[in-house]
Amino acid sequence: MIRKKSWFPIVYMFCLTAFFSTLVIGFTQATGERVAANEKLAFEKAVLAALPGLYEENLSRLELHKRFTESVEEPDEFSGGAYVLRQNGQTVAYALPISGQGFWAPIKAVIGIKADKKTITGIAIYQQNETPGLGAEIARTAFTEQFRDKVIAINGEPINIKRPGAVLGDSDVHAVTGATQTSTRLENIINMGLKEWLSKMSERENLK
Amino acid sequence: MFKQVLGICSTLAVTNLVLNTAVMCVALIFTLSLSSCTVSILRKFTPRSIRMMVETLIIAFYVIIVDVVLKAYWPEMSSNLGPYVGLIITNCIVMGRCEAYGNSNPPGKAFWDGFFNALGYTFILLIIATFREILGMGTFLGLSVPYFGGPHWDKWIIMVMPPGAFFMLAIVIWIFRSIQTAGEDKAK
Repeated sequence: MIRKKSWFPIVYMFCLTAFFSTLVIGFTQATGERVAANEKLAFEKAVLAALPGLYEENLSRLELHKRFTESVEEPDEFSGGAYVLRQNGQTVAYALPISGQGFWAPIKAVIGIKADKKTITGIAIYQQNETPGLGAEIARTAFTEQFRDKVIAINGEPINIKRPGAVLGDSDVHAVTGATQTSTRLENIINMGLKEWLSKMSERENLK
Repeated sequence: MFKQVLGICSTLAVTNLVLNTAVMCVALIFTLSLSSCTVSILRKFTPRSIRMMVETLIIAFYVIIVDVVLKAYWPEMSSNLGPYVGLIITNCIVMGRCEAYGNSNPPGKAFWDGFFNALGYTFILLIIATFREILGMGTFLGLSVPYFGGPHWDKWIIMVMPPGAFFMLAIVIWIFRSIQTAGEDKAK
């Protein structure tokens, strides 16, 4: 009988693997485009949310994408890697993508800065894998709303995330209760990103 | 009465929000019933020496399908669950049922065995998740619960962290064992 042959398990395993792999590959191919579109859309949504006056809660996927392509310009050599919002030829705000290591997994966010390069217009976190209910609260509007109209500090760290209950200055926001690690790491990511961008921008100024 | 404590690893990770738990459990019901069924269909051809490899392959196949579907059609949930969907592959309850039942019973029966085992698992996980979310966050399915959501309830952060799952699981096992032994004593 064929099952008794010594080579049978190898051939059997090979065929089975080939069969299931083919199905999985086919399936991934079929949905791949959608998955990629989802990731791109999440980013575009974050850019819109970080910039002033563009984001609305109940926009459909298509409307979001349309609004992004219509109003936001890709990074150019004068924006230091940030996306640019222009109205009537005037730069209104920049949207700077920032990323770094969170407590569990990388955090990716977009931070909006006014054309004066001093005021934050908003922040949106579009990828994170922090503890649900604790660190993951950084992605909620209750947390991100705090950043609106904060001023980037010239001395010391650009933005400080202080413990809940602390008295806040112009450049401070409250951390998430019970998520010290996530808050500290996010603070780092924001400050690293801002410092790097600001130095790039001032280099540009000096060249002019 | 029959009971098993298998696949508890995932209780730690996803049971701090009821919604996440529910989605995870639906994924598990799908994977467990279909992989048990598939193992059963192939049981007459599969050489005994490589049956574990075959089982793992089949389980991985269904889990990847679930993962891809979530990524494509519910990206928010997919990012909430993170790597834990993929980790269903290593969930001992799936392999345990394939080994114990799917391997030696007809496909139809194997399907229902998988289905109801996963349903039992879901039941326990939802109990744990409900308590963890209410005690730890004062919410249920993201909605604020009276009293627990208010200022008088000092939220038990530990319940949302992984250790909270251990405590809850131990309490659940304790309660169910007590009920069971009480029943057995009466029967005697």
